[in-house]
Amino acid sequence: MNVSRRRFAQVGSAALIGLSVKADRPIAGSFVNDSFQLGHQLRDRAAYPPVQHVEKFPVVIVGGGMAGLSAAWRLNRRGFKDFVLLEMDRQAGGNSRWGENAITKYPWAAHYVPVPGPGATYVRELFEELGVLKNGQWEERYLCFAPQERLFLFGRWQEGLEPAVGLSARDQFRKLDDLMAGFREGRQFTIPMERGLGPGAADLDRVSFSEWLRAHGLDSRLLHWYVNYCCRDDYGALASQTSAWAGVHYFASREHDDGRGTLTWPEGNGWIARQLLQRVGAFVRTDRMAHRILRRRRGYSVFAGTTEYQCEFVIFAAPTFLAPHLVEGMGPLPSFEYSPWLTANLTLERLPASADFTWDNVVMDSPALGYVDAMHQSVRTHIGRTVWTFYWALAEGSTAQNRQLLLSRDWQGWKDAILHDLERVHPDIRTCVSRLDIMRMGHAMARPTVGAMYDPTRRRLATLQGRLLFANSDLSGFSIFEEAQYRGVRAAEHVLGLI
Amino acid sequence: MDILLFISVLLIAACGLIYELVAGTLASYLLGDSVLQFSTIIGCYLFAMGIGSAMSRYIDRGLAYRFVWIELVLGVVGGFSSALLFLAFAYAQGFELILYAMVLVIGVLVGLEIPLLMRIVRKRYDFRDAVAHVLTFDYLGALGASLLFPILLVPYLGLVRSAMLFGMINVAVALWSTFLFAGELAARRGLRAGCVVALCALGIGMAEAKRIAYAADENIYADEIILSRDTAYQHIVLTRFKNDVRLFLNSHLQFSSRDEYRYHEALVHPGLSAVPAPRRVLVLGGGDGLAAREVLKYPHIESVTLVDLDPEMTRLFSTHPMLTTLNQASLRSPRVHVTNADAFPWIDDNQESFDFIVIDFPDPTNYSLGKLYTTAFYRAVARHLSAQGLIVVQSTSPMFARDSFWCIAETLKQAGLRTYPYHLYVPSFGEWGFVIASAREYNLPLTLPAGLSFLNVAGLPALFQFPPDMTAVPMPANRLNDQVLVRTYYRDWKDISH
Repeated sequence: MNVSRRRFAQVGSAALIGLSVKADRPIAGSFVNDSFQLGHQLRDRAAYPPVQHVEKFPVVIVGGGMAGLSAAWRLNRRGFKDFVLLEMDRQAGGNSRWGENAITKYPWAAHYVPVPGPGATYVRELFEELGVLKNGQWEERYLCFAPQERLFLFGRWQEGLEPAVGLSARDQFRKLDDLMAGFREGRQFTIPMERGLGPGAADLDRVSFSEWLRAHGLDSRLLHWYVNYCCRDDYGALASQTSAWAGVHYFASREHDDGRGTLTWPEGNGWIARQLLQRVGAFVRTDRMAHRILRRRRGYSVFAGTTEYQCEFVIFAAPTFLAPHLVEGMGPLPSFEYSPWLTANLTLERLPASADFTWDNVVMDSPALGYVDAMHQSVRTHIGRTVWTFYWALAEGSTAQNRQLLLSRDWQGWKDAILHDLERVHPDIRTCVSRLDIMRMGHAMARPTVGAMYDPTRRRLATLQGRLLFANSDLSGFSIFEEAQYRGVRAAEHVLGLI
Repeated sequence: MDILLFISVLLIAACGLIYELVAGTLASYLLGDSVLQFSTIIGCYLFAMGIGSAMSRYIDRGLAYRFVWIELVLGVVGGFSSALLFLAFAYAQGFELILYAMVLVIGVLVGLEIPLLMRIVRKRYDFRDAVAHVLTFDYLGALGASLLFPILLVPYLGLVRSAMLFGMINVAVALWSTFLFAGELAARRGLRAGCVVALCALGIGMAEAKRIAYAADENIYADEIILSRDTAYQHIVLTRFKNDVRLFLNSHLQFSSRDEYRYHEALVHPGLSAVPAPRRVLVLGGGDGLAAREVLKYPHIESVTLVDLDPEMTRLFSTHPMLTTLNQASLRSPRVHVTNADAFPWIDDNQESFDFIVIDFPDPTNYSLGKLYTTAFYRAVARHLSAQGLIVVQSTSPMFARDSFWCIAETLKQAGLRTYPYHLYVPSFGEWGFVIASAREYNLPLTLPAGLSFLNVAGLPALFQFPPDMTAVPMPANRLNDQVLVRTYYRDWKDISH
């Protein structure tokens, strides 16, 4: 018998401490929703089949993520129904895609929306239609249930994500709060960002957030961990890779709160996508990747599969970096950077031994972002099984290398890496999980690098001009629901004004 | 020979530190305030080691013999320390006294070890080497133990078995020393026999550790346990002392048969008697069938729907003779329909309306139960209320948990209901409170069912009077996204219990 040394040590030490060695559950799973093959075909200018049908619509929306669905929602709501939405994947929703199993629905990416402020008028309008906002009150069942967030540090869980330890760190957190309160009063950091963006804060876009913090005397390790966590969570980047403008925006665009003002659903923002699809699903054509967009005399032709869609207006709601590969004659966009991500959904047949589960669970100094519990938003008092969504932004190092890593490591390798990370806080996790599916996204979200916010190309594409209208949230510099929805609705409004 | 000797030093140092850590951790677990507990235990332990060292000078002869004895006794005392302390906490008064006595005894014995050992090895090495070697291994052992304890021992073995494992190691060192110092020992056989007996005792202890923890658990209850059952949802315990039967769910007292009539009469009748011509009643929680028993006193009630999470609970109260006597077999009445379901989703999915709704859940001790005390839940329940209908809510003690009681009342109010709080005295609980809630105005009933033991019409107004120490305090409502009540309840009860 060939017993590896490691295995021997495991069994040996287990025997030494009198453990009955519990057999780990067999864990099923695979990669799901892979879309990079399609993207690579575009990049490599693969040969596409010749046109067999021609269809005519005044408006074609390319991309069925939150921006595209929001544009469709607006057109439909204004009574305009002569349009089509082309989605590359089998399921629309983009970063708001969701899944479902016998236990619960669960998110594949975006999983919450902070309670929108008064400036986010389009979002509020949508939420009033969806019953999320009623007579100025947020529906209690859609607000994240208590307890919301916890952080594992120094061997124990604490409530809330801001590390509540260390006197010098506490001072620095207070100072950061004060600085951000000042920016909040300045009203230049708004959601949507377009409303407040002015020349006044352009200097902030010339340094990284970590440099800016150090220049203001904020150097605590705990504070930098926290700020890095925030940047990884919202931008998929470290603070040193993030424009200080975007860093400030993260903190100054919303009222400071500890998660009690967060809207969420078991399937995350998939709930919003589902509501939108109930309304505009009839216009959506999935498995239809646009591979070429050609300018014509009055409008554009969009080629997808064997169909040519002739239209007056194109709302390009897909990630903007794809546009140069589709739009004839469009130059490259070197200033658009994106962060690679990985999410996993773990089916748990029983809960690990740790009382009082919270919605968002973060482990300090983990390379990943932690996990969100899909059953947390259930009104049940007794929960036996659940699904956890594990988030991992590959922020450290270069994006190219990380994309390479994303594709080269096999499912087994990622599965072990994820379980290993969770084992630090739940030693018995392997006896709980029965399934672990992984979604890999090479260009998951826009990365607001230094200079990105005021980048002239981005600013130019963000203004709606001509008949090809760009609407993806990446034009805001970062991918959040509110920006996508704003840009989608605004593009639809623009088209409606011209038709 | 040398290395074996020094490994013994390493092991006994590790054992000594483990006993200290076990005591400190246990005290933190059971008494709270870990800084205080660890500081005082470490201090007391080191001081006791000093006493031991001082005492070592009075030992003149038979050094090796006494050393082996000390190891043996230390292994037994230290090994069983954790189990004994758990049992002491459950059984005895003056837990702290026992704790510190134990720490003192162990500390003195540990303090004796190293001086004796140094004197034993003095004959073999020169003084300089002896001190250097013994102390090196002593400190190394301490390091190993301090790392092992939090990383492996506590998570995988727990406190009871960790102490026993190291007790066994300690006794093993004693046994091994009888060979190591064979030349200096006369009564080797007796010592070895003692070691083997101690090892067996500790080994059995390891195997039975679960039962020891269970015994400690059972002694939390004062009376004889007549039934103890772990269901998928809770730990059900029934105790009896003479004619007093008590039900505990997860160690919380639910009723005492001697005075439960006060609680259940007050829960049901002030509300139900005020509803004109009630026909359909809903009971949420109340799997003991006692509220249903009171409801069935109204002959015109056509149906009682009882929703309780735990099928074991309702089965027990429909079949156990002692319990069906108590609830007059209410759960077997053809008018009563028992559904085993989680109350909140059940309320969401159900379409029926009811003339009277009894909400009798366990107190909001955690965030899961707290969901059943939120504005969202009360709004959902209110949708099932008929035009003349009333709700009554078990609302914990307005005396011991005054903030919690008024928080529940405020939550009902913010769910859009009018509230009518009242209270009574239940000897086994103390002052206890309920809130009647409705969409319409509530007026006291003019009649009550015949044959009640506690309530009469003349006494009703007094229930709604709150003396100054229980009057309303301003509290925010409890919401799903901000469970004020769970935090308040924890604080309220922490203030008055140990």
